[in-house]
Amino acid sequence: MKISKILFVSEFEELWLDALQSLMALRKAGMNNVVFLHVISRDKVAMRRGAGYLKQEERKLKEIADIRFIDWAETLFEEGMEVVAHIAIGNIVPKILSVTEIEKVDLIVTARRKRAKFEELYSGSETSELLRRADKPVLIYNYLSQSGKVGENPFERLLLGLDWSVSSEKVLDYVLALKGAVKRVDIVHVMGEKDVAKISKMEAQKLERNNKKRLDEVCDILVNERFDARPHLYIGNTEEQIEKGASEHRATMIVLGAKRRSIWKEKWSGSVAHSLADKSELPILIVPTEVK
Amino acid sequence: MAKKVLNVEDDADTRTFVTTVLEENGYIPIMAIDGEEGMEKARKEKPDLILLDILMPRESGIKMYHELKLDPNLKDIPVAMLSGVSKRTFLRSQAALTEFGDETVPEPQAYLEKPVEPEDLAETLKKILG
Repeated sequence: MKISKILFVSEFEELWLDALQSLMALRKAGMNNVVFLHVISRDKVAMRRGAGYLKQEERKLKEIADIRFIDWAETLFEEGMEVVAHIAIGNIVPKILSVTEIEKVDLIVTARRKRAKFEELYSGSETSELLRRADKPVLIYNYLSQSGKVGENPFERLLLGLDWSVSSEKVLDYVLALKGAVKRVDIVHVMGEKDVAKISKMEAQKLERNNKKRLDEVCDILVNERFDARPHLYIGNTEEQIEKGASEHRATMIVLGAKRRSIWKEKWSGSVAHSLADKSELPILIVPTEVK
Repeated sequence: MAKKVLNVEDDADTRTFVTTVLEENGYIPIMAIDGEEGMEKARKEKPDLILLDILMPRESGIKMYHELKLDPNLKDIPVAMLSGVSKRTFLRSQAALTEFGDETVPEPQAYLEKPVEPEDLAETLKKILG
């Protein structure tokens, strides 16, 4: 697994230069190629009664995006990086997926996206849709946090949440590929409160011992690769415990694996990764099970 | 025989503008919409001049220029940059690539920063192609 090419999706009002600069930490992990994508919503240029298709508006919006991208790209070009750009009109998620395919990127970077309330009721947020459909890891920045600022290196201290599923293996591989950009990894596994309540004390202790052993094994893998890694076992609500762990260990990013699910499965059973992507104040990196 | 000019440009409006200037001045325009297609057409068509934008999808003009100058079959084709990216950035980027272990890359024959007037473009073409 490698992370040499990233897709940076910007709507400008949501994802700014500080987010892009913070990603430069990935250069230490081999990143040398940035793809910019700006999608102009069809509503902004759609046909209006008496005015037709707003070609002038389209030109203006494309020009604005072009000027911004040139400004960002100049800095990256001067550092010897390759930069390409796409400015498109249409729906954001399908455009992200198509550019991901065309450019063969290793990571999609975007800000949390919301739909109108009515639309969200039926199809969830655009972030959820992207996570459901993307077969590449997605890094989501949250600009709704109080500070509205992105830390200098969000990869510095990772909170790695593992549930021992197939996605856990994938996410661990991905973290290993981030070597160079990451200083510390706090590995967290959360035992469900209800699961523990259902079994005897002896069984609960066995389960705890087993989980600690697995955490230690993961920790050893990371330490052998020269990461500073610490294992942590928690009991309780997974979402809450992960957020709590991130805060306790001053994590700069949460990293989780996630299965790609259908819209209905997602709607009814939900997933910790998707839910945290919609709520967490920290940047969150979601690695799908089926990473191509 | 009319000379062939390959214009590598992702913006449709700029492509139309350049095509018009080329045709009006008696050149044969060949179009490519990004650096990857530009390299393919450069190999296939062996143009007399390449007009090259920088920020495009799939492959930037900076990478394409670098590839052109390192290809023994294409390195002698004159290149005129036509871009919104400043010349200073272009030169620094080539220097940065050199620092990454490649050979020194020569400067392009001309560097035009967008927007360019049709007369200035025609004059540049004439200066390079005669």
